[in-house]
Amino acid sequence: MGEKTDVWQGTLALMVLKTLETMGPQHGYGLARRIEQTSGDKLQLNYGTLYPALLRLEQEGTICSRWGASENNRRAKFYELTRAGQRQLRKAAAEWEQTTEILARFLAQGGEA
Amino acid sequence: MKALRAFWQRLRGLLRARRVDDDFAAELESHVAMHVEDGVRAGLSAEEARRQALIKLGGIEQVRQAYRERNTLPWVENLAQDICYVVRTLRRSPGFTVTAVLTLSLGIGACTAIFSMVNAVLLRSLPYENPDRLVYLYTPVPALHLPAEVFNPSNADFFDIQRASHSYTSMSIFGQSTFNLASQGAVERISAARVDANFFTTLESYPELGRAIVADDELAGHNHVVVISDALWQSMFAGSRDVLHNTLSLDGVTYRIIGVMPPGFGYPHDTELPYGNAEVKTTQAWIPLALTPPQMANREDSNSDAAIARLRPGVTVRQAEAELSTIMKQLSRLHDPGMRGFGALVRSFPAAIIGPVRSLMYMLAGAVLLVLLIACANTASLLLARASDRVHELGVRSALGARRGRIARQLLTESLLIGLGGGATGVALVSLFLRILPAINPGNIPRLGEAGLDARVLLFTVAVSVLTSALSSILPILTVSRLDLSALLNSSSRTAAGRRSRLRDALVVADAAMVVVLMACAGLLIRSYVNVESIHTGFSRSTVSMNIVLGEHPGMAPASRASFQRAFFRSLVDKLSALPGVESAGAISDLPLSGAESLSMVWVEGDTHVKNELAEGRGVTPGYFNAMGIPLLAGRLFTNDDDSSQARAAIVNQRFVQLYLTHRNPIGAHIRMGGDANRWDTVVGVVANVRHASLEEMPKPQIYEPTWEFRNAYVAIRSSFPAGTVASEARAVMKTVDPNIAVADVHTMGELESEASARRRFQTTLLTLFAGVALLLALAGIYGLMSYAVSRREREVGIRMALGAQRSGVMLMVLGNAAALLGLGLAIGVVCAWFATRTLNAFLFQVGDHDPATVLTVCFLLAMCGLLAAFVPARRAASINPMRALRSE
Repeated sequence: MGEKTDVWQGTLALMVLKTLETMGPQHGYGLARRIEQTSGDKLQLNYGTLYPALLRLEQEGTICSRWGASENNRRAKFYELTRAGQRQLRKAAAEWEQTTEILARFLAQGGEA
Repeated sequence: MKALRAFWQRLRGLLRARRVDDDFAAELESHVAMHVEDGVRAGLSAEEARRQALIKLGGIEQVRQAYRERNTLPWVENLAQDICYVVRTLRRSPGFTVTAVLTLSLGIGACTAIFSMVNAVLLRSLPYENPDRLVYLYTPVPALHLPAEVFNPSNADFFDIQRASHSYTSMSIFGQSTFNLASQGAVERISAARVDANFFTTLESYPELGRAIVADDELAGHNHVVVISDALWQSMFAGSRDVLHNTLSLDGVTYRIIGVMPPGFGYPHDTELPYGNAEVKTTQAWIPLALTPPQMANREDSNSDAAIARLRPGVTVRQAEAELSTIMKQLSRLHDPGMRGFGALVRSFPAAIIGPVRSLMYMLAGAVLLVLLIACANTASLLLARASDRVHELGVRSALGARRGRIARQLLTESLLIGLGGGATGVALVSLFLRILPAINPGNIPRLGEAGLDARVLLFTVAVSVLTSALSSILPILTVSRLDLSALLNSSSRTAAGRRSRLRDALVVADAAMVVVLMACAGLLIRSYVNVESIHTGFSRSTVSMNIVLGEHPGMAPASRASFQRAFFRSLVDKLSALPGVESAGAISDLPLSGAESLSMVWVEGDTHVKNELAEGRGVTPGYFNAMGIPLLAGRLFTNDDDSSQARAAIVNQRFVQLYLTHRNPIGAHIRMGGDANRWDTVVGVVANVRHASLEEMPKPQIYEPTWEFRNAYVAIRSSFPAGTVASEARAVMKTVDPNIAVADVHTMGELESEASARRRFQTTLLTLFAGVALLLALAGIYGLMSYAVSRREREVGIRMALGAQRSGVMLMVLGNAAALLGLGLAIGVVCAWFATRTLNAFLFQVGDHDPATVLTVCFLLAMCGLLAAFVPARRAASINPMRALRSE
């Protein structure tokens, strides 16, 4: 316990989408902090990897961005979920749940044997 | 969809990279600032907060780089960079660039040239609907030892096959003929086909104007209708649409025009019908075959030249042939006892017309493939030399962080650019080639004249260019990626790269071997061509010949038709003989090399062994032999009385005597052709052999009979005047004899001879051209390798000289190196050629496929040229100034 986990490939996008859904528009730094907090500080997020991931989501059309003012009145770029992003989030979440459920069954079976 | 969108965005990102970059810098700045604020709020000093923020971020520059790579397409940027870089370096060494591009352009050009022909002849689909479903039907009699394609089904057999078979959706028989067409006061020869009502439906080709020939057109009294070709429509009626109210006068008979075929339709062309009428190049008019009921019931004869059918969907050629074979077994019993044992042959239409030239196309394709490989090897060798020259540079770049993949990609890019340049230059060479192609087109390769640079050919060129580039860059890339580049940096570049490249040696050896194969093949073809050209044809080259076909005059009684024909040719030949300068004139039914042929069974009185043997039967007028310059060997020639006298005279050729009249005096022997067992001919003379069907075919036994009765005859004229004068005078004479008869196919016999060897000239020219190009490339390769080696070894040579080596010794050393490589290449090449020339057998004439003289000549030639190519660098090596060479480093 207490060890911090690196973010798995591909799950970061899902975390970003989910966080944006619950929090509404958010800037990169805020997103990063929030993801770490949500994980109970168990995730070791390299903030630098967040931005290419955000760019990728933007290129795919699941989020969009605009410049705005932060809570401390600092100029920051805010990201927001698009309609396509909501659809994508539902789909990815369902897939993820199914995967973990299946894996859980396998692991449980391993425990019985 | 999402991926596509992202790709598009990244492409756009390429264009606005600078703006996005600035934007992201601002975003990062705000990110760090917020992080620092949080840190300060938690009690850290501003500096420590900033330090931790940056650590957590993973470094500003790294993030920006990752972002940039995601924002744009890095490989596009890299590619653009590579291309710019390669173009710069290529421009810096124009000698290398020009040599490499030219080398590849020769290889790619040769390949594309052959592909453009293969494309026209083999690949492009035939201009008929589903041509691969069309088949020719033959009913050969194997006992006669004749090509199966000369046996068309007899009339009655055809109609029985039509009734009994289930393999075809449609079947048609048609014949070929020529007509004298009267147009605007002049008369010209046209080629026509007599076709049944199923002809156009079988071919699935229909008139663009008017209608096709239908069943009613075959009824007696309704059959004077004609469908004309687009070309005839344009030339005679200027494309006017009221052509359907017009008529054609063919052999004096009026035909109503009912249809015009679309442009390009001229079936059958001369290359589309095996053993078709030699006078027909393309068909210009189609008239009803209109067989009478007695003709349709004729079991032994045919009024047609071919039976063509369209296979039912799903039926294979083999199945159709099995069915035809069963039917013919039954029909055989209905035939004359003397003519039974009919077999069956069904040949697919594309196979029938393309089959004969396929092997030629394959041979040429094989030859250009070798040329291309040699070009590849040369380019690879050039690239290798270049790579080892640049070892130092590449080492520096790799030390500065260039990945191996990137360096390999740059080498590939360089090679690709050179390849595409070679491709472009190659296309220019091909368009030049296509301009001279008509001059060497033998005319008997179907659709060769249509070879051109279409989209498919250009696509092929691009593909070959890319493939060639990739192929030539493999070796350099492998070599460079194997080198320990940083180690090289520590040593002097000269000594590092000065090691002899075994790889380049191997390439030169391979070059030489391939050239030996190509040159051996070309050499054998050249020898064959020389052999063909030196054949004694047996007739004089300067004799002028022409073809005359009289009308059929179906209404005329046979006797009066005969006397009409006799009077016509007597008058014509007499008038021609009386022309100034004319030494002799005569007519024959089947002129040598004209493609005409008539074979008959031959019997020799008192010799029962001569059975089922065929001889070439000819009708001639007395002046024919002198007009053709065919010498009399024994006995006498025909006189004007032989034609009418009761004692039937015949002249045979030398071959006939050798085969059937040995051990006896041929003069006075009794022989006969054809069926009537009581009508024997008496041999009165023996003439020399002539080549008839082709130059290469040995003379067959011939029997000449005296006659003046021809419908279709060739007239031969020997004159001391030039051929052009003779031809125009002959035309003038023809007008006075009968203005309604056209003179066609006017040639000197020399021209026919040249036409007969045109195919051979064509293949020999091309293969020799390719062998020449290959030799040139190989010499360039040897020269390149040797001069490179010499320039690399300047220092070593300098030391040797300083230590007392003689200039001649140095020269011998370089020449010796070249000789060793050449010798190895020759040895390998001779072994390969041994196998390669075997496949060439079908193209050779009177020369063995392992002809030692040819192989020796080729080896000698290559050795001499190779040493000559190495001589220049060798002399340079010998003229090295030791002092300067040693100081230069």
